[in-house]
Amino acid sequence: MIKLKNSFQYIFLIVASVVSIFPLFWMLIAATNKSADVLRGTLIPGGYFIENLKSLMASQPVVSSMLNSFKYAVVLTIISLVICSLAGYGFEIYHDKGKDLVMSIILLAMMVPFAATMIPLFRMFSNAGLLNTTIGFILPSLSTPFLIMMFRQSARSFPHDIIEAARIDGLNEIGIFFKMFIPTMRSTYAAAMVITFMNAWNNYLWPKVIMSDDSSMTMPMLIANLTAGYTTDYGSLMLGVLLCTIPTIIVFFVLQKSFAEGITGSVK
Amino acid sequence: MKRKMSIAKRHNLTGWTFIIPAAILIVAMSFVPMVQALILSFQSGKGTALSFAGLSNYVRMFKDGVFIQSIKNTFFYLILQVPIMLVTALILASILNKKDLKFKGFFRTAIFLPCATSLVSYAIIFRSLFAVDGFVNTVLIKLGILNTGYNFLGNPTSAKVIIIIALLWRWTGYNMVFYLSGLQNIEYSVYEAAMIDGATAFQRFWRITIPLLKPMILLTAIMSTNGTLQLFDESVNLTSGGPANATITMSHYIYNVSFKYVPNFGYAAAMSFLILILVALLALVQMKVGDKRD
Amino acid sequence: MKRRIISGLLVASMAFALLTGCGNKSEKESTESSGDENTLTVWCWDPAFNINAIQEAEKIYQKDNPEFKLEVVETPWEDLQTKVTTAASSNQIDTLPDIVLMQDDAFQKNVISYPDAFVDLTDTGIDYSQFAEGKVSASIVDGANYGVPFDNGAVIACYREDILEQAGFTTADFEDITWDKYIEQGKVVLEKTGKPLLSCLAGETDVLAMMLRSAGGGFFDEEGNALIADNKILKEVVETYIELVKSGVLIEVNDWDQYIGSLNNETVAGTINGCWIMASIQTAEDQAGKWKITNMPKLDGASSATNYANQGGSSWAVTKGSKNPELAADFLGSTFGGSVELYDNILSTGAIATYQPAADSEKYAETNDFFGGEEVYTKIVEYAGQVPDTINGVYFYEARDAVGTAITNIIAGADIDAELKTAQETVEFSMQ
Repeated sequence: MIKLKNSFQYIFLIVASVVSIFPLFWMLIAATNKSADVLRGTLIPGGYFIENLKSLMASQPVVSSMLNSFKYAVVLTIISLVICSLAGYGFEIYHDKGKDLVMSIILLAMMVPFAATMIPLFRMFSNAGLLNTTIGFILPSLSTPFLIMMFRQSARSFPHDIIEAARIDGLNEIGIFFKMFIPTMRSTYAAAMVITFMNAWNNYLWPKVIMSDDSSMTMPMLIANLTAGYTTDYGSLMLGVLLCTIPTIIVFFVLQKSFAEGITGSVK
Repeated sequence: MKRKMSIAKRHNLTGWTFIIPAAILIVAMSFVPMVQALILSFQSGKGTALSFAGLSNYVRMFKDGVFIQSIKNTFFYLILQVPIMLVTALILASILNKKDLKFKGFFRTAIFLPCATSLVSYAIIFRSLFAVDGFVNTVLIKLGILNTGYNFLGNPTSAKVIIIIALLWRWTGYNMVFYLSGLQNIEYSVYEAAMIDGATAFQRFWRITIPLLKPMILLTAIMSTNGTLQLFDESVNLTSGGPANATITMSHYIYNVSFKYVPNFGYAAAMSFLILILVALLALVQMKVGDKRD
Repeated sequence: MKRRIISGLLVASMAFALLTGCGNKSEKESTESSGDENTLTVWCWDPAFNINAIQEAEKIYQKDNPEFKLEVVETPWEDLQTKVTTAASSNQIDTLPDIVLMQDDAFQKNVISYPDAFVDLTDTGIDYSQFAEGKVSASIVDGANYGVPFDNGAVIACYREDILEQAGFTTADFEDITWDKYIEQGKVVLEKTGKPLLSCLAGETDVLAMMLRSAGGGFFDEEGNALIADNKILKEVVETYIELVKSGVLIEVNDWDQYIGSLNNETVAGTINGCWIMASIQTAEDQAGKWKITNMPKLDGASSATNYANQGGSSWAVTKGSKNPELAADFLGSTFGGSVELYDNILSTGAIATYQPAADSEKYAETNDFFGGEEVYTKIVEYAGQVPDTINGVYFYEARDAVGTAITNIIAGADIDAELKTAQETVEFSMQ
């Protein structure tokens, strides 16, 4: 009986995994084929990988785009995790009616499509001389209602007796946050890191609007360039897409153990 | 007594200090532009030649056939997709949280993979899978379910369903991540105690997992509602809003009005604020139901 | 320690956020690494095509102006449009580069929406009479020239000679014909080979627009009013299109990749599009020599009908964000507006001129082996010269989408007149 139920679980997981992985598999195959064959929908690996790589490297600054993307994503992830978790912690641990209200108001900030606020934001950044700067690139996505709320929700399961005990031990409030909260909530931080990294990595519209030189190109911009021509080379496009996808997958794979396998127990 | 008050006050103040950096950024990066957009929504005109127009933009959208169609489409996605996605993500997370499951890392990564996949490739793949001579049709014909290829993306209803399938495919694993991380805060011993008491798997899921994950479920519900009402990528890249606007979303139309057509930013801003009102109302309901501290 | 660095970073970015809020307009920083006045910045989008062309132009211009330098920033068209709109709407014209490449379909929309963003090039010495009239008209607003024509968008009909032969035809049978004849012969090809003659994107109006333009028609009248419901030419176009779909001679696909796929995979026996489509056809190297080119069919009823039209194509514009608009205009004028050498150099990439003197050069008389060993370039320039004048209109994209919706509904069985009336109302609504 138990055996049967288990195998159902595995079948379910295997089906879900196959469906999920298929496009990545397709991308891999496509990256080894020439353009016309990709459009013919071939599922057989071809011998064009090197050619695709060569033409991709020749037409686009792959290495510097990768480095740029990486730089932006890492800086953005670190700073926004600190800012947002601090706020989420503040909202939950010291919660009262006023802070709950402010939390609701902050949520409003994500509810307007970016197309509507982009132009005022652009004017602001242009006046401040922030076009074509790293700060201009990351500033709008440093503090997001989503991350703040995620930490607020997670902080709800942070045991209050830990805080009380730490206070009795003479730890100050910021100390409790850094020495108690962050280590205890490692799984939340790991999950938030994956999501933030991915969002930062894939960020496209705003960077494209405020960055106007080739040296600040990121991977999503590179992919857009590959599809913008009158003739698309689908083989090297798929190779580019593959290169653009891999870092997020690696980050996820490395961190998944941290957010999905009970750490809380060992700390308590 | 007085001392106690001052501690509470000090904690209250500390709380605000923690919040302030994030709050300042949100005010500067979101609320300031939003206020400007709000002012814009009471103006009309083309390009930079704008004049005050009262509520005319807000009246206008209820006469705009394409926009009304886009509202209907968006709610169709919302009602069908969000519940299915969140329930599936919950089930996946609770299976993948089991201690004795094998290849956990692989399964988790595989199921998360779709949302990391670049939009470009996933759009190409979905379109070619559901093309008239695509993979799905080939399989259905071989199985004898269809006689000739069906134009999935060319038919209003099936095109909407494909958008929902694409959304489920892309975002289920994403939501699973939140549940998995939330589940770490549940002591395994709680489950063991329940098992000893003879609770079935379903009872454990319903009585322990769901209540303890409530904060995370609220988060994902609000985020998915917001994400769906602002849905843009799938409408643009999978169907271009077609056939005959059957799949166009509100955000897609707002983008067209701002950047593809003769720019009418006042009107685009007004439509954007309608989205704000709709999301805010739904989020308010969700907060009322799900944000109680026990 | 690490914590301290992070909190330091935090404080710094906080301070920055505050400064942003109340900072006054700082001196405009040059977006380019070198801001001297002999350097121009250009936005365009295809390394194999227009980026290559402007870089060739740079080389030619440098012969007489050795100081001259160009910085090209690769920017996909949709993003370029977004950036132009964003900069112009927020009154930050000076963030724009000196030169942008603009789709002809969007030219009038941009100039009329942002009259302060683009430089009037009428009196800069560019001889517009040397260009094909149908091409120049795309970048004229209120009688003033705002663009320097770049690539040719003359419509060509391409056929797979080998497939036509199986049905007993040659490409010559498709030259100077009407759509009636096209459908009639197309049915035979379909019957004998199982292949439609034409594929196009469902819900897009490219084929319709080509038919319409070939008879000098458009979605708007001369005053700019929407002309969709009571447009005789449009009605004939729609009826012809429906006939094409119903007869199976035209097959609709759902996206661009499938359209290109239908050509490369031999799903169809031909296509009709702007001459820039040749580059995509040529990616299927195994089909070399099998394709041939001729002009497009013409409408049967309309008295103004011709076998020629424009589809796509783009022109260069100088923005008022330029520090040196005279240099920009002179650069464009003496290269794209006056150098046969330039057009000779870029011909191999598929960039065909609308600059008539270029067509007389030897290069253009060369034959192309992929397309049946014929003098295709001479042919195309000839076609370009015969394209009737048309009005694109400021609201072109609105009209295109509204008519596209109507077509989809008509194919699904709705009434033509009622749907065109709805489309007319939709466009008029946008224009309010």
